[in-house]
Amino acid sequence: MNGPAQRMMIGMIARAADPVFRRRAFTHVTIFALIIGVWEWAGRTGRLNDLIMPAPSAITEAFWRLYAVTGEVYWHFFVTLYEAVAGFLIGAGIGMGLAIAAALSLGFRRYIAPYAIALNVTPGIAVTPIFIAWFGFGWSSKIALAALIVFFPVFVNTLSGLLRTDRDTAELFRALGASKAQTFFKLMVPNAAPMIFAGFKIAMTSALVGAIVAEFASATEGIGILMQRYSHKLDIAASIAVLLSMSLMGLLLFTLMEEMDRRVVFWKHQGRLDAVARKRHRRWGGLATEKEQARA
Amino acid sequence: MNDDMIPGLSGEESPLWKRALKHTAILVALLAIWEFLTASGYADPLLFPRPSHIFGSFVPLYVTQAIVWEHLWVTMANVLAGFVVGTILGISLAILAGFSETIHRYMKPYVIVLEATPRIAIGPLMLAWLGFGFGAKLAIVTLVCFFAPFINTLTAILSANPAQVELMRSLGASKWQTLTKVIVPDAMPMIMAGIRMAMASALGGALVAEFISSNKGMGVLLDNLAAVLNMAGAFATLLSLTLIGYILYALMERIESRVIFWQNEAGLRRVSARRKRAWGATS
Repeated sequence: MNGPAQRMMIGMIARAADPVFRRRAFTHVTIFALIIGVWEWAGRTGRLNDLIMPAPSAITEAFWRLYAVTGEVYWHFFVTLYEAVAGFLIGAGIGMGLAIAAALSLGFRRYIAPYAIALNVTPGIAVTPIFIAWFGFGWSSKIALAALIVFFPVFVNTLSGLLRTDRDTAELFRALGASKAQTFFKLMVPNAAPMIFAGFKIAMTSALVGAIVAEFASATEGIGILMQRYSHKLDIAASIAVLLSMSLMGLLLFTLMEEMDRRVVFWKHQGRLDAVARKRHRRWGGLATEKEQARA
Repeated sequence: MNDDMIPGLSGEESPLWKRALKHTAILVALLAIWEFLTASGYADPLLFPRPSHIFGSFVPLYVTQAIVWEHLWVTMANVLAGFVVGTILGISLAILAGFSETIHRYMKPYVIVLEATPRIAIGPLMLAWLGFGFGAKLAIVTLVCFFAPFINTLTAILSANPAQVELMRSLGASKWQTLTKVIVPDAMPMIMAGIRMAMASALGGALVAEFISSNKGMGVLLDNLAAVLNMAGAFATLLSLTLIGYILYALMERIESRVIFWQNEAGLRRVSARRKRAWGATS
């Protein structure tokens, strides 16, 4: 196993022995504790209005209430996550498809460009009311908005990745008699993969924002509506707890994309490169020995 | 128009009028198909208004009823005010943080958490804090505009060339001189990229703020028109927003090519001609 958790553990153990790191970690914790302490003190003594900025203890209590006592947060969490991921898949699929067509044909690229530009300069969020009229108040209008927001970053990154193909290498492919499909899959796509994934990373975060904003506009379920409900009730502690959960969700999705990036575009990351090289070496070695065995 | 939004468009070019003609022909054909589909009842005119109706509804919006202007004014004031406050705050805080490595180190975890938070999601909280007036909307746009300039400026300052900084020090330059003569000009392309990103998100931020709570602004107008299923009007408003978005984008592009003139040939030539004239006059 060589998962991210294990890697992190090894890194932490190695760093824990470093005195500079230990001193810095100590300062970090001290500063954090100081901020929380002052904040709590200000809340307790009434210097901070509970309605404006509840004390850390109140926020912790709200977390407990949301996750352990009522447990209502999970369903809303799932709804928003589903909307964001579904929107991401649809938007990224359309974006990549059109980008591939645009990369292969200069004519298509020229004629699609004005529409893509118009789409990009329109704030995607502005389409929310129209999508709600089209798709209703349910999940589908949120998915559509997420897809719309996802489209452009994926489209542009895929297109520029595909166009950045090195001319000499393309020449070599032609000289070796590679077919068009071979050139596309063995040269252009691997070459574009790092940029495509950079686009995915931007798009994933914006898909979440799209879903949440569409929920603000009108929804009955989802983390956005949960937060709005709490802040309308002036239960600020709970809405800050939901907000922090959103940050966590954002970090989670981003990390997921990073990990996928490391696996798919393995040649850009030294650790993964070594791992894949070892694996291939083993496979080839295995093949060779089988052949040798057959010969023997 | 600067074409760097979509890559790979330059190449052998046919004359401008020919290209414009082809583009227009395609657009007209698309609109005609749409018009036909709706007019003949294949597409629901309630949901997909006829293009002629969309263009027709520009007239009441802008001329006869002229309801768009007050909303437009509110939104633009909000966008520009939030953009200016947010970028200035972002850049100055980043310069402060960039000055001292210690401040930067201990600020970093908080910045990461704030960056991961969907900024717009703080909207309802801002509303609870600042009420339903202009303040909350300004705060939302400011927050949306803060991050890109902040992060970009900080990154650029931290990646300043140590050899250049060393040289400035050995020449006896003050910290302020090093900052204004070396580090900031060096960081300028990245700072401008951050400012451009901020401008791109400012309009969206303002609209979201208006969706959540407001009685004026383009977001409210759009929401109201769509709610009464006046889709032609909603589309006309949306197209206006597209146009505003494009104008803001083009404006930023123009400003950027002026500020970091050394990154493009024309700007470089213009400035060097001006400087030459200035030197000629003094000598």
